[in-house]
Amino acid sequence: MTQVDIAGLTKRYGGTLALDGVALQARDGELVSLLGPSGCGKTTTLRCIAGFLTPDGGEIRVDGQDIVALPPQKRDFGVVFQNYALFPHLTVFQNVAYGLQVRRIAPAEQQKRVAEALALVRLTGLESRLPRALSGGQQQRVALARALVIRPRLLLLDEPLANLDARLRDEVRWLIREVQQQAGITAFYVTHDQAEAMALSDRVAVMKGGRVVQFATPREIYQRPAEAYVARFTGEANMLPARPAQRLAEGLWRVAIGETVLEVPGATTLAEGASALLMLRPEALSLAPTGVPARVLAAAFLGASQQCDVALADGTRLRLQASPHLAVAPGDAVHLAVDAAHAWLMPDIAP
Amino acid sequence: MKTRLLLGLPAVALLLLFFVLPYVEMVAMSFRAPASGLPFGEGHTLLHYQRALGDTLYLGALGRSLLMGGVVTLLCLLLSFPLALHLSRTQGRWHVVFFACIVSPLLIGVLVRNFGWMLLLTVDGPANRWLLAAGLIERPLRVLFTPGLVVLALVHVFTPFMVLPIATALRNISPALREASTSLGAGRFETFWRVTLPLAFPGVQAGVVLVFVLSVAAYVTPALLGGQGVALMPAIVVRELIGSFAWPFGAALAVVMAVATLSVVAVFTLLTQGLAERTRA
Repeated sequence: MTQVDIAGLTKRYGGTLALDGVALQARDGELVSLLGPSGCGKTTTLRCIAGFLTPDGGEIRVDGQDIVALPPQKRDFGVVFQNYALFPHLTVFQNVAYGLQVRRIAPAEQQKRVAEALALVRLTGLESRLPRALSGGQQQRVALARALVIRPRLLLLDEPLANLDARLRDEVRWLIREVQQQAGITAFYVTHDQAEAMALSDRVAVMKGGRVVQFATPREIYQRPAEAYVARFTGEANMLPARPAQRLAEGLWRVAIGETVLEVPGATTLAEGASALLMLRPEALSLAPTGVPARVLAAAFLGASQQCDVALADGTRLRLQASPHLAVAPGDAVHLAVDAAHAWLMPDIAP
Repeated sequence: MKTRLLLGLPAVALLLLFFVLPYVEMVAMSFRAPASGLPFGEGHTLLHYQRALGDTLYLGALGRSLLMGGVVTLLCLLLSFPLALHLSRTQGRWHVVFFACIVSPLLIGVLVRNFGWMLLLTVDGPANRWLLAAGLIERPLRVLFTPGLVVLALVHVFTPFMVLPIATALRNISPALREASTSLGAGRFETFWRVTLPLAFPGVQAGVVLVFVLSVAAYVTPALLGGQGVALMPAIVVRELIGSFAWPFGAALAVVMAVATLSVVAVFTLLTQGLAERTRA
C-alpha cells in the first residue's frame, strides 16, 4: 500500500544540474521505469529516493509523508544494485537474513522468512553458498530476495540486468516482474534499455537532461511520443518535417507532406501553422500496389519481416517493416501505403 | 613453458643466493662445536640448543620479545584502523598529504629517529620542560630507557606497515555494500561492525603479521631507547655473535627466535584463515 509523489526534485553537482525539477508519481503496486541514456539523471533520481543522495530541492512523498530528511536505514526500501552488492563474506542465507538480523527479528522467524524469500526467487538449497560461488543470475536473485525479505514499502532497482548476459537477462526480468506483482510492491526501475522498460513497466518516465520529458504507459510513449527524442529512444522512427495545416478535431490534424495530404492524430499542444514532425514507425508503412512512389535503397530479409530502406521522389529516406512475402531488391520502384491512424504528429522540439 | 622457466631463473637464483643459503648456513652453524679464540671449532653438537632452551635467561628474553611484539602489534592495530579508514576515504591532494604523513616515520633513518626521541625525552629535554611549564607534572618524567618508550617508538615506526594494507583492503570494499547495508536498515555503526570491519580483515591479517615479525626482531630501537634494564632476544643474539664471538651459540639463539616468531605467525594465520579466505576480495 505505497504511493509515491515526487515533485520538483533538483540536484546539483558542482556547476552541472543533474536533476532539474523531476516530477513523478507511482500508484500502489505500480512498476515505474526511469528510462534514458547515461547522464540523463535516472540513477540520480533513484539514489535520491533510496536516500543515498540528498536532493538540493523538491520533495519525495511516500504515502503523504515527505521522506527527504529520513536517512536510508529508516526508509524501509529494498534496493537492488547493478553490481548485486552482495556481502562477499556472508553466505546466501546470511545475506538474505541481514535485514532481519538488523531488525532483531527472532531467529525462528528469520529462518522462515529467508526460506520463503529464497523459494520465491527459486534458490532453495543454496543457503550455505558464498556469493562468489554463484552465477551472475543467481547473485542477482539473491539480491532480490534480500531486498524483498524485509517486506519493503518500496522496491528500487538500479539497472539490475545490466551485468547479465542476454539469456539470463530475460529470465531475471520476468522473475522481477512476477515477484513484484505477486507481492504487490510499488517499484521504481532504472534502465537504459527501452525494450526492458516497455516489457516490465506499468508506466515509463523518459528522462532527458535531468528532466522527465514524458511519463506515460509504454504504449503511449511508443505510439504517442511527446517529442522526437522520446520517439527515437523508444524505437525505430521515421521523422518527417510537417506543418499542421488544419485542426479537424481535438488531436486530429490535416497535414501535407510534399504532394500527399494526410489526416493524422497528433499532440493537442500543437498550433496551426507551427513547425511539427510527423512520426511514422516502420510498421505504419507498408508496400502497396498504389500509393506514394518510392525507390528501394536496401532490403534485409529478417524471416518474420523484411526491413526496407526506401527513398521518396524528393530524396526523403524512410525505413519500413515490409511483409516478408514480397521479394524486393535495391533499385526496385515501389509504392508505399501509409497507415495514417498509426502516424503521430508532434511538436518540433530540439532533441 | 621453457622460456617461462628461463625467465624465472634470475629470481630463483637471487632467492637461493641471498635467502636460502644464508639460512641454511646459519642453521648449520648452530650445530657446530664451540672453540676458544675462534668463532667455531671442529665437529657438531646439540649443546647450544640445550643451553638456549634450558636457561631461563634466554627463555625469559624470548618471552619478553614475543610479549613486546604482541603489545606493539595490538597498539599499532588500534591506532592504525582509524587512520586507515581516514586514508581510504580521502581523495586527491589530501590523500597525498595524508599518505606522506603516514609513511613519514619511514623517511627518517633509524639512528636519527631514535636520537630525536632521546633529545625530546631526556630529563631536561623539551617535553619535560613544556609539561613542567604547563603545570601538568611536578617533577620531570623519566621515560627514557624504559620499556614503555621502546613500545611507543616501535608503534610509531611500524604504524605505516599496519595502515597501508588495511587502507588497501578498505579501499577495495565497494561503496555499494555500505549502501546496501543501510538500505536494509543498518545504521552507520552497525554497517561498520557487520560489513566494513570484517571486509578489512585481509589487510588486518597482513599488517599484524608484518608488524609482529618486525617488532620481535627489532634491535636498534630497543638498544638505544631501552637502556640496560630490559634484555630482549635480538640484543642477546647480537651480543653472542659480536660481543662474545660465539657464532654457533648466537646462531642457535637466532634459530630459536626465528622458529618461535614463525610459530606464533603460523598459529595466528591458521586460526584466522577461514575469515581471511571469506573476506578476500
